[in-house]
Amino acid sequence: MNLLLLLPALLMIGLVFVWPMIRYGWLSFHANSVLTGLNPVPNGGANWIRLLDDQRFWQDALQTTRFAGVSVGLELLLALAIALLLDQRWRGRGVVRALALLPWALPTTMMALGWRWIFNTPYGPLERLNEFVGLGPLNLLSTPMWTWLVTVVADVWKTTPFIALLLLAGLQTIPKDLYSAFRLEGGRPIQALRCITLPLLMPYVLIALLFRGAQAFGVFDLIQVLTGGGPAGSTESVALYAYLNAMRFLDFGYSATAMLAGFLLLTSAMLILAMLLRLSGLMKPVQP
Amino acid sequence: MLFRRGLFAIGLGFLLLVGVVWGRPEQVQSVTILMPAPYADATASLVNRFNADNRGRIHLNVSRGPLETESISDLAISSLLLGSPPFDALLVDVTWLPKYVAAGWLEPLDPWFDTADEQGLVEGARLGNRVNGALYRWPLGADVGLLYWRTDLMADPPRTPDELTAVVGKLQQEGQAPQGFVWQARQYEGLSCDFVEMIQAFGGSWLNPVSGEPSLDSPAARQTATWMKGLISDGISPRAVTNYAESESLQAFKAGDAALMRNWPYAWAELQGDDSAVKGRIGVTTMVALPGQTPAATLGSWGLSMLRDTPHPSATAEAIRYLTSQDAQRERFLNQGYTPTAKALFQDPELVERSAVLPQLEQALDQAVPRPMSPLYAQMSDLLQRMLSAILTEDLDPDEGMAQAQASTLTLFRSAGGTA
Amino acid sequence: MKRRLALWICLLLVWSLLPMLWQLISSFSTAESLVNGSIPFLQRWTLVHYKELLASDPPFWRYLLNSAIVSALTTVITLALAIPAAYGLARVPLQLRRVLRWITVAAALFPYVLLFLALLELARRFSLGNSLIALAMPYSGLAMPLALLLLTSVFESLPRELEDAARLEGLGLWQRLRWVLVPLLAPATASTAILVFLFAWNEYPIALTWLSRDELLTLPVAMARIAGSSIYSIPYGAYAAATVLGSIPLLLLVLICQRQIVSGLTNGAIKG
Repeated sequence: MNLLLLLPALLMIGLVFVWPMIRYGWLSFHANSVLTGLNPVPNGGANWIRLLDDQRFWQDALQTTRFAGVSVGLELLLALAIALLLDQRWRGRGVVRALALLPWALPTTMMALGWRWIFNTPYGPLERLNEFVGLGPLNLLSTPMWTWLVTVVADVWKTTPFIALLLLAGLQTIPKDLYSAFRLEGGRPIQALRCITLPLLMPYVLIALLFRGAQAFGVFDLIQVLTGGGPAGSTESVALYAYLNAMRFLDFGYSATAMLAGFLLLTSAMLILAMLLRLSGLMKPVQP
Repeated sequence: MLFRRGLFAIGLGFLLLVGVVWGRPEQVQSVTILMPAPYADATASLVNRFNADNRGRIHLNVSRGPLETESISDLAISSLLLGSPPFDALLVDVTWLPKYVAAGWLEPLDPWFDTADEQGLVEGARLGNRVNGALYRWPLGADVGLLYWRTDLMADPPRTPDELTAVVGKLQQEGQAPQGFVWQARQYEGLSCDFVEMIQAFGGSWLNPVSGEPSLDSPAARQTATWMKGLISDGISPRAVTNYAESESLQAFKAGDAALMRNWPYAWAELQGDDSAVKGRIGVTTMVALPGQTPAATLGSWGLSMLRDTPHPSATAEAIRYLTSQDAQRERFLNQGYTPTAKALFQDPELVERSAVLPQLEQALDQAVPRPMSPLYAQMSDLLQRMLSAILTEDLDPDEGMAQAQASTLTLFRSAGGTA
Repeated sequence: MKRRLALWICLLLVWSLLPMLWQLISSFSTAESLVNGSIPFLQRWTLVHYKELLASDPPFWRYLLNSAIVSALTTVITLALAIPAAYGLARVPLQLRRVLRWITVAAALFPYVLLFLALLELARRFSLGNSLIALAMPYSGLAMPLALLLLTSVFESLPRELEDAARLEGLGLWQRLRWVLVPLLAPATASTAILVFLFAWNEYPIALTWLSRDELLTLPVAMARIAGSSIYSIPYGAYAAATVLGSIPLLLLVLICQRQIVSGLTNGAIKG
């Protein structure tokens, strides 16, 4: 009976999450493109051979990993600061918390549109500021390095509140007498942060790292609207490349291959990360 | 009983008749064409006239699509993939056509355009419209790659690769045109367009014209890549061209810093503006070529294609014909400067007076060469651009780079074509 | 100390709100004043961008309505399936529960954009494209793991005795769910509902591939299409107005329901 209650939800999850992976596995061994009239024709692993040789895919994989690493790192640092701030008692905390949460709640594509205006050359406020202080126009959205930074800033802006809330939840589980005891022993606040807060907060940091890492690796909305992958493909992500292969090049077989490869890369990265963390003793075996 | 049934039948028949008689004249066929916004604006007055002429019969509606070239294709493809697209016809770039045809989305235009129509077109506008022998596109304007040269710095434009390097090198030594020869070497579609012209100059081609197989590791292709790299390493072209697209090249040439520029016809009007340092000192020709080889001009250009799903094929064809008529071309040329496609217009005094470059344009159009007509063109071009860019900006050996480009293109064909 | 705290709070607010404030200002500025700084202050303002957005075809509110329809439908379907499932999950043997739990966590972590192609195939095969009702199906599936995680942890924390007592009273399974468990679950359900709603409201890649007709677009896709279809040279006044109009519903939602959102996220973090 209990299983029967579970069934519809599990079927739904299966259809939406498991079926696509099976389908991609099958498609990745077929040509399914305009050349085959959009019908699947077995091609004996040619997609995978092409993937191994595909500089664009590997460049995107590297770019995506770098993007995910840097933005999640920055987000964690900023979020920790915000969480510590929100953990203190002061008037109007609720309202500030709600306002700080707003960036997270807005559709990504909407603010991507906003960023395009804010970082516009020469009329956006940032370029005007550069002009004003004499830095000259930096061409924020047409120079690879700056554009990459812009995408990181946009991502950090949007998702930091989410991580901050996770960490805040963690902070609130730490008993306050721990701190008073530490103070009585003569410890300074900064030491308390290192000896009490951070170790006890670690599980939450890891959850955030795992969750946000996976999401950031799948970055799509932001890149597609803000930069379209440019300039010269320097901000293209794996998801965007797979999307272009399907929707622009009409090569579904290769698109499926790229997505499956992206998924496998992500999974192995996660496993390695988890193993390293466990080895370093930061993460204890989880009891679900 | 029988009587009643008979009466009912008569009544029904009468109603049907009324319906047909009444319904017929009301049936305005609505035709929607998707175009990038600038083209939609350029055709607005024509559309109004067409609708006035066909009142009560056809209503033409031009949908203003995105400005960016690829976005409009993305928009069209996403509707086509889901089925029942809201368009009857589409303005397509010359490189998209084979893909759309292979996907089975287009309807041949052969029933509405005959050979006489095609013979009225200038040579370059006749290319890139047919796939597998069927006509799928009717050109809206003509567009080819040109070589712009400075009439004040040389008596005649260079005609061979060696002449080009010699004349530019001499001018640079005299300190006349520090940027020398500017073209498009950034990693983007423009680089592929330039390559098509340069490889033909050395007697090669991207795809083997007979077998359709890539021939990027042919001696001519390797020679081309070596020459391109040499242009930059010898300083004939500044190192910065590896980051130049059309607008950067134009900027350098317009400022008088370059002696030669590879660009499209639109640059002519820009160079004749009052803010141009080289106004009135510009000549136009085609890309250089080895002695004995025909110089090539890469074909650009947009054209109108009919979607297979359209419920009103003849009305759509009528609209396409109207928008591409000689009168329409004349109007678009005089008002917006879009190059016409009809042979007759290139000698038209009114048009030549407006733009003295028309006769040279016609010559260049006779040398037009389309980029490979393959459904996989976008991916092929991306592979090539990557390799060329690596050859030009990094220490990649041209021979090795072209061999890699060849191998990758073959893998692409196998992967997408299912012929492992 | 006090002053330092205030400074940090101000910084936080500036960081979160300044970009949106800039959009707000831009949306009321004339196209001219966006590119020309020397226009006198009083002549800079206009409502024309808003008028244009509301008079366009389809009018902007249509996108908000579409998003509201899909999100509401998704929330209802997800909860209708997730509440019984969470109950079931909390009651199955530990071994099985552990396995199912891991599957759910993995699915919740999954960057779902990678699923779009297979889902697009489904839409093509079964002609589900361009239908807001059909779009709620994949959305419910995508939101299911999160909903399950949030709700299961609550079911697990409810004392068993409560249900046993109800069983002794002779209440059947559905009655127990309806009269005993769901009322106790109300706060958790509310926060789950809001998070699912937010997910559906903001979802982009699936909507991008399942919808192509102008009048059916949801807000995120409409925004992207506005961005991609820059048919003016400096369309940023209209862009800004669109972002302002698009954020008003969310601003209200976040301000009104912030407690539920926070508790939902927090529960997910602690128990998940």
